Amino acid sequence: MSMENRRPQLNLAELHQLKWLIGGLLALISAWTVVYMDVEAWLLLVLATVAIPVVTVRPGLTMRVPRLAHRLAFPILLSVFAIDMAGHWREPLPPVIRLALMLVLYRVITPRKRRDDLQIIVLGLFLVVVGGVVSVSIVFAAQIVVFTACALLFLLVITLVDGMESEPTLAGETGGWMQVEWRRLAQRLRECVDWRVAVLGGLLFAGVVGLSAVLFMAIPRFELGNSLFLDRLITSHAKTGFSENIQFGDVVDIQRDTSVALSVDVSDRSQMPAQLYWRMLVLDEYSKGSFRMSAAAKFSLDRVSAQNARVQGDAPLSARTPVWTFYVETGTSRFLPLLGAFNEIGFEGEKEVAFNRDTGLVMLRQTPSKMLAYRVEGMQSGPSLKLPEKGGEIRLNDKSELKLPSLTELVLHTDEKVKLAAWVAEIGAPPGSAPEFARSASRWLAKRHAYSLQSSIGSGPADSDPLVRWVDSAEPGHCELFAGAFTLLARTAGYPTRVALGFKGGSWNARSENITVRNSDAHAWCEVYDKAAGAWLRVDPTPGAAAVGDSANAPQGEAVLARIRDDSWAARFESLRVFWYRRIVNFDQQSQVRLVHNAKKLADERLREFKKTLREKLEALKAWIASPWDARRVAAWGLSAAAVVFGVVGWRLAGRGAWLRWRSGRMRGGPDPVRREAGRWLRKISDSGSVMADLDGVRAELENLRYGPSAKWPEPTGVFRRAKRTLARRRR
Amino acid sequence: MTATESVSPDASAVPAATDWNGVDFHGARSRSRRWSRLLWSLVYPQRGQRILPTVPGTLLIAVSLGIGTAAYNTSSNILFITLSLLLACLVSSGVLSWFNLKEVTWRLRLTPPLRVGREHAVTLELRNAKRVLPTYGLWFDFTATGMAKPVRRALAGRLDPRGETRVEWTFCPQKRGAATVELVAVGSLFPFGFLRKIIGSELRREALVWPASVEYRRFPLVSWRHPGIGEQKATAGQGGDLLALRPYAQGDSQRAVHWKASARLRRLVVRQFATEMQAGFSLWVQTSAEVWMRPEQFELLCSFAATLAEDLFRAGRLTSVALNDEPTYLVRSVRDLELFLDRLALAAPVDQPYQPTTSAGAGRRFNVLTFAPDGARGVLAHVDGKPAATA
Repeated sequence: MSMENRRPQLNLAELHQLKWLIGGLLALISAWTVVYMDVEAWLLLVLATVAIPVVTVRPGLTMRVPRLAHRLAFPILLSVFAIDMAGHWREPLPPVIRLALMLVLYRVITPRKRRDDLQIIVLGLFLVVVGGVVSVSIVFAAQIVVFTACALLFLLVITLVDGMESEPTLAGETGGWMQVEWRRLAQRLRECVDWRVAVLGGLLFAGVVGLSAVLFMAIPRFELGNSLFLDRLITSHAKTGFSENIQFGDVVDIQRDTSVALSVDVSDRSQMPAQLYWRMLVLDEYSKGSFRMSAAAKFSLDRVSAQNARVQGDAPLSARTPVWTFYVETGTSRFLPLLGAFNEIGFEGEKEVAFNRDTGLVMLRQTPSKMLAYRVEGMQSGPSLKLPEKGGEIRLNDKSELKLPSLTELVLHTDEKVKLAAWVAEIGAPPGSAPEFARSASRWLAKRHAYSLQSSIGSGPADSDPLVRWVDSAEPGHCELFAGAFTLLARTAGYPTRVALGFKGGSWNARSENITVRNSDAHAWCEVYDKAAGAWLRVDPTPGAAAVGDSANAPQGEAVLARIRDDSWAARFESLRVFWYRRIVNFDQQSQVRLVHNAKKLADERLREFKKTLREKLEALKAWIASPWDARRVAAWGLSAAAVVFGVVGWRLAGRGAWLRWRSGRMRGGPDPVRREAGRWLRKISDSGSVMADLDGVRAELENLRYGPSAKWPEPTGVFRRAKRTLARRRR
Repeated sequence: MTATESVSPDASAVPAATDWNGVDFHGARSRSRRWSRLLWSLVYPQRGQRILPTVPGTLLIAVSLGIGTAAYNTSSNILFITLSLLLACLVSSGVLSWFNLKEVTWRLRLTPPLRVGREHAVTLELRNAKRVLPTYGLWFDFTATGMAKPVRRALAGRLDPRGETRVEWTFCPQKRGAATVELVAVGSLFPFGFLRKIIGSELRREALVWPASVEYRRFPLVSWRHPGIGEQKATAGQGGDLLALRPYAQGDSQRAVHWKASARLRRLVVRQFATEMQAGFSLWVQTSAEVWMRPEQFELLCSFAATLAEDLFRAGRLTSVALNDEPTYLVRSVRDLELFLDRLALAAPVDQPYQPTTSAGAGRRFNVLTFAPDGARGVLAHVDGKPAATA
């Protein structure tokens, strides 16, 4: 076979080297998906991160692996998997992921045939998809796009290699490809790749991504059933510490983390409450200087657990209450953040969810291993929480042996109780008014203690209560200490009180129009039962927080958003994540219908606008024509039209030729425009396959322009015009 | 592609300049017509066109089905994204494949003469008329008369835009007679190897395969004699005497062109020289079925006759040839010899009585070479009835 190509081509050995490089890259991308999964595979990941680049850069190392290792590889991998599976039979997904990772690693460090290359793609796709399904992270979007690009390039090179290897004359060129000079290969790639083809390839891949976006929106959505799937084969743990086992001081640890905990959309911004307290759980039991959720309270949640796509609350639904959509990040908590009582919570698909009406807490059976989205309708966001329990007590099944802790009694030493009573007297609030006591006690605490995340509890006997010691000292404290101290004081005063945990505030991302709540917004506050109102009163004794009753006069709606608005770069990036959640992850049948409606509406609007504009222009034209034509106007327009015609004709007859000649005279080393144009016409004539005699003259003139000395050129424009006419005549 | 290019055995097997074939070689000039043809071909593929999934393709389809089922089962948009990407990859594979084959044309070249047992090159000329995009990864399935299965040759490397290249296949005919060399199919796995695209082709060339050259043994020939007066004939040969001028024929040497005469007559004429005065031979081949009953022996006859004819012509001693009862004609040029070999290529046993020659030259001519079976397998050549050579 003889080739007559001008641009050099990669030979078979170079194609093998390129294939090896892309294969390594693909394996590395696949291996790194494990980072986004809650899977214990750090050792394998470190091994892959080191081994894959090393072996990719030096493929000759694969030949040093002894043959015995290849023979033993499969039994060893199988044994490791079996042992791993036996140890984690309740969670089969992590062992499978580890096996896939091991297989990818093995394939990279050994010489590969075509089948092995395809195995890398399949294993990589498995890891990327599982990572995406398990984490629902926006990183998946970037990862799958990069993976697809690499996989397509990999397949393309495999196809080219196969094509060349099938040619017997070239099959012998493969030898020695493992001696790679990467710099030389890069140089060869630069020489061999046509930038226009590379750009077209890039555009085509952009087209693939665009087409997949269209397909994603167009694929009909209907759910066949919610069966066992990947995210149920893996157990995740709360990373923030917001669990029923939370200890005092944990909230401060959470505050040190600035990552996003949840994003919230609100359908009506004018209904934005003055204070945003995202309530997640309540701690009702106090013992040994620490608050926790009592066993009875936990039990009360567990016994109402059910598989459901909707949770019906007790709050009434009104037309004015906005719809809130929550996107809770992976591992935040299994307790759902809520502003207060609600009418209904809707999930995407069925969830095993527990809802206790007496505490207003909603809990999932497991901490979600991926982003959790839910919609809340009819949610109350005021400072008081009206729940159906009687007297602030949680109802339990009569047969239960568990007993709820009293929310007014304290297990403390007598001297500590005396101290607390003395402080309550010092606060001097009138008895029977929970709001009044809350205001007074908060003020009293703020006077004695400053706010600081770096707090210490005063020294004292080991068996003494730390909170009492802290109240007794003048040490600064954090929200948990203030909330705990207030709870002790309120219970001493006879008010049922508990500590509430969750997030406070957040920032308004104007770009994506959502509230972003970070882990650094974690907060602890109190809930005091107000017998007069029959509701739980939110009390935030931490200095700087609004006092009880102040929120009634505080600005609401847009003013709140303006106060917490965030225009930083982090917020801009965050808007991408919100877009991902809103438009991609939560895209469903309703979204599809909405999309079609919007598209139709937009098309109708544009058509209407176009018709309107057209009508206006026509009317203007009519009016212009109908206006009186005096001699001056006729002359002006006649001259204008003549000037245009003269300009066009002049340009075509002489202007363009002069322009071409001028450009041609100025070209130094670059392509001559006249010669290039002549070449284009010659190619057209050649492509037409014409043998007409009248073309010969034109062809000769074009050849003169293309190859002849410029001094002997005929007038270029005339030649091009003649060529055009002749070809047009031939086509007719 | 349905165009069939065939040439008659007598015509040259070299194709004309415009006989390019290709996927989109429809002759449709207008853009809309081309598009409608393309769309229609997607619904009803042209005859011989097949698209088959390869192993990676089957895997892709299986993975897509699995992911699609899982996506519907779980309403997971992550899976819907993956499914969309996989489908988009499949579509892009089709588009790239179409671009790859677009404006690629080919034509088959086969240069006679073909000869049994001798290797001949079949050339497929490829042309990529695209302006920017190169073409990769094509393969071509060739077959020829007598071959059990097609032979595959690949386009190794890249065919640049506006570039041309050749794919060559060497084949060795096993039987004399009319042979057909055919491009059975053009295929490609480009770009990602998901689908095996096969474009059926009926592009073929026909040519005659001359009998094989055989080894033979010459006997010391006592009966060679100079022709008598009246039998001596000046024939065309390599001698120094000008015999005549004749029109130029394909295959004539340019050195033989008589330029002055050509200019005068306004057409090419060549000098024809007389051969040196040597005894000339007439070759008479009888294919009587009553004598040549064994096919192998008959094939040997044809090969022996062809070899002798060539050797004698090369020595300038072949004066005339005859086949069965056809009229004898003089061999003056290469073309005459080729025509005789063409006849031998198509020769078959006929129901005619075999006429043995005698030393008297059948009462007609002297130095007549005839052939007769030599035992069960061999063939004996006689000159005027006397053994002259055997094969």
